[in-house]
Amino acid sequence: MEDRKRKADDGSNFSTGSSVFHLPSSIVLSILGRVVATERKPNTPHEFHFWTALDSPVGIGTIVRVESAQPVNGVLPVVYGVVVEGFGYTDVETPLHEVLGYDGEPGGDAGAPTRRTEIRLYSAAVLRHVPEEPLQPVSMGTVHLASDEDVAVALRMDAYLTPGSSTGIPVGLYRSGATSSPVWLDADFLLGPEAAHLNISGVSGLATKTSAVEWLLASIFAHFPAKKGRVAAVCFNVKGPDLCFLDQPAAKLDDADRALYDRLGVPAEPFKDVEYYAPYTAKGYALNTLRSNDALAHNVKPLTWGLREVLQYAEVLLNKDDVDAKADALIDFIKERVVDQEFSDPKYLTAVHRVQSFGELERWFRDLLTGMEKQNAESWRTHHVATIRKVRNRLTNISTRCRGLVTDDGTVSDLPFGQFRDRAVYVVDVANVEADAQDLIFSRIVSTLREHLEKRDLGVEHVIVFVDELNKYAPSDGPDTYVRAMLLDIAERGRYLGLVLFAAQQFRSQVHRRVVGNSGTALFGRMDPDELATPGYATLSPATRTKLSTLEKGQLMVRHPHFSQPVFVRFPRPAVLSGREGVERFPQAVEQTLDEAVTRALRTLDRTVTLEWVKDSIALADEEEVLRARNRTIQAKPDDVKAFFRGQLKRRVRAEPVDAKPRTPLKTAPTDDPYGF
Amino acid sequence: MASTYDAAEGGTSIREALRALRNAPIPSDEMRLSIVESAGPALELTPADATPPRLEAAASIEGDLLSVRSVGEPVAAFAAFLDGIQASQVILRGRAGAPVVHGTVAAVVRRRSDRILHVWRGAPRIARALYAPVSLIGTRELEWLRSTRMEIVDTFADCDAALARHPMELLALARTAVQRRREELEIALAESWCASEAEPLFVDGGISGAGRASQSMFAVGVVKSHRTLYATGGSLTVVTGLEAGARTTSFEIRSPRRTTVASWYLRLRDARGRDPFFGLVRVEIARESWSAERADEVSRWVLAERAPVSLPDKRWSTMAYGIRDCEEYLRALVGA
Repeated sequence: MEDRKRKADDGSNFSTGSSVFHLPSSIVLSILGRVVATERKPNTPHEFHFWTALDSPVGIGTIVRVESAQPVNGVLPVVYGVVVEGFGYTDVETPLHEVLGYDGEPGGDAGAPTRRTEIRLYSAAVLRHVPEEPLQPVSMGTVHLASDEDVAVALRMDAYLTPGSSTGIPVGLYRSGATSSPVWLDADFLLGPEAAHLNISGVSGLATKTSAVEWLLASIFAHFPAKKGRVAAVCFNVKGPDLCFLDQPAAKLDDADRALYDRLGVPAEPFKDVEYYAPYTAKGYALNTLRSNDALAHNVKPLTWGLREVLQYAEVLLNKDDVDAKADALIDFIKERVVDQEFSDPKYLTAVHRVQSFGELERWFRDLLTGMEKQNAESWRTHHVATIRKVRNRLTNISTRCRGLVTDDGTVSDLPFGQFRDRAVYVVDVANVEADAQDLIFSRIVSTLREHLEKRDLGVEHVIVFVDELNKYAPSDGPDTYVRAMLLDIAERGRYLGLVLFAAQQFRSQVHRRVVGNSGTALFGRMDPDELATPGYATLSPATRTKLSTLEKGQLMVRHPHFSQPVFVRFPRPAVLSGREGVERFPQAVEQTLDEAVTRALRTLDRTVTLEWVKDSIALADEEEVLRARNRTIQAKPDDVKAFFRGQLKRRVRAEPVDAKPRTPLKTAPTDDPYGF
Repeated sequence: MASTYDAAEGGTSIREALRALRNAPIPSDEMRLSIVESAGPALELTPADATPPRLEAAASIEGDLLSVRSVGEPVAAFAAFLDGIQASQVILRGRAGAPVVHGTVAAVVRRRSDRILHVWRGAPRIARALYAPVSLIGTRELEWLRSTRMEIVDTFADCDAALARHPMELLALARTAVQRRREELEIALAESWCASEAEPLFVDGGISGAGRASQSMFAVGVVKSHRTLYATGGSLTVVTGLEAGARTTSFEIRSPRRTTVASWYLRLRDARGRDPFFGLVRVEIARESWSAERADEVSRWVLAERAPVSLPDKRWSTMAYGIRDCEEYLRALVGA
């Protein structure tokens, strides 16, 4: 190598044994390799081959620039490519020759004074031709490492990084040799309207999926152009404490990470505006989340829904086997004619009902069925008594199956639909919730987001919905569920509304094709080799697949509509506290008593509420009544929390000690009464 | 794109030569030369009338009789390797069958640095020319050939042009002329090395005809073919019975037109059960630099070049890898 450099500096006409052109020494030094084409391995418009010195910094994923010396239409073409395969071989014709050369002794190398002629041959997939027409096979030329500018041109990022009107969102840093170039995604193709959605694949536990999303959200919040509108994120925390500490600074962020943040123009700090939502535990005292430490309670809010909210999505919980056409008709009747209005039927009902909660619905059913039994009626308004019993059973059972989320009394505590804030993150913690309740939460929140976005009254114009374990919600096989149908709908039409799906899964091949197919951008972390053997990865070269299966933490392969080939990038550690570290730093609160749970909930509204005051206030109330009063207080957020809370409790006369009155002694018999005893 | 060897030095490739001849205006219908439809096989691939193998006595300079010496463990010391190639094809024929041959010769020194071979002084020596029996192809035809600006070498330069010639003999003359040209390039390179470098050069073949290099202590010739064996009588048994890692004692090779050199046989590989010439080479060094110790030392250098083996070359048992590298390099460069 030194010899090669020295000769090039001399300005001689030979830099290596095979460099046969007169070139200025500065150019000779920058030449990385030379394009080579043979009949067996020809170049095409989409692929070319080149060789390099043995010590060149080229590797799989390296972006290179080819400068041809043959003008086309008077222009010297420049071709950009990304290395997708590498070959190395010597002049040994068969392995047996090598064995003979060493006399069968593998350790005999020490005596060989000359190294065999060896080649490093690479195949590169074409990223871009300049000019684009005529599209011809890549001609012979010199190969150079791509510079910053080259990377921008090769990945067509120059189209959307125009100063003043850039829509670039940095996804990471491309590195090769001395080159270190930011790679930008186009916001129009990440968040719509041109294309949208992001899909992330990678094995669990290697800081790929969650970390990548946390980083990318920070990047979006830092770079999404204001003129494109406001943007917020709704993240479903489906396992462990992964997303529970987004507002806390990272425990460890080294200089290399900070340098990456600086280079990519993203502040290395946690999210400033985060709200957490979680349903209650089945017991109803505390919120069902790992973010239960008192120090973090200020932005954790309950997620509870009543009858009206749940009935809209009853089909999420009631599968087709449960609900036939007749039952479906009765449920529609209840939604349309019974709920939230006064309902009377003097023939069967003993009273006028106003159904607003599961409890009131149960009373309505009971009254109706009793009335029918009394009159020995088999049907009511065309609904057979068996259907009515079935629907009663299924609907009232929902509040049991989704205990903690669905309230019997109709209390609602929900995400701030209509008041979403720009650059805010809303985390919905469903990690410890039953699968049915998870489905219900996911369906209702996403559907509600969609409704508000359609009406343009959500508060932001773009919402990113992040959901992990996509293969569970939108599997490629299995029954056609409401959740899957909804995800398909978002994937196919969400971009027009600003509803963007960021989804992650371990096995992309197990996710519905239309969901992943509609994701304009795809990120791949370290992949499972078995997954890489599935047909979906057949377009990748064996070397690229090998690299994918051995990616380090913090490395991603990125597919984006502007990139004609996937590129590898490195991203920094998220600047937020990881779930594991968060749980250690903010231990979960111990299980609370009713008094403590109510105190804690009310103190988020009024810091003067004390445990003694709560104990005194609820002394005469039963548990159900106390929880209902707490929920209503939280929902109403009154100015006078104490008065409102007490007002929700039934008035009871406190037992008071009766004043002591002098007892009138019994009359005593006259001592002279001869009949007295 | 300009090649490193310009046309004046390197000449015109056979494809360019054919194209030039086809494009050159033929002055008259009486022209007695015809261009071949396509270039035939290289003359080097056709069987040649070889001189018969022979035994030749040589004067011993290390004891009275040829005997065996062990040379010790191999030592890598050669700094460079020198070899050349040639390729020739008939591209024109006169009416009497007189061939006009396009010949390409090339030679290179590959210097070893950090166990990797590079071209010494940046470029190989390459020469291309037409080899023709000038007196047999006519004046007009010669002028037409010269109009193409290709160099023309007369294959009758060293022999009597008046004698009637068999066309195959004319081909052999052409091939000899091409070979002579190659040797000239090799000699020039060897002399250049010996004049400027002070490290040993491994030369493919003998050095007795290598001009000043044959007297340099830095040129070591290694001969692989043994059509002439410098051993007679009992000495022949010594040579054929040499064991791997052993050499014969040294002898002088004298020739009227060549420099006297010191030489000895060296067995590179175990030949038991094989041809008696398997792994057998003859080493030549300058007579003035010879001593018994020097012969042992050079033998150790040559032994070190057994690895890596030169397979798949058929001559692998005697060919150093550096020499194979020179040939492969030149073939890749000139397409011979």
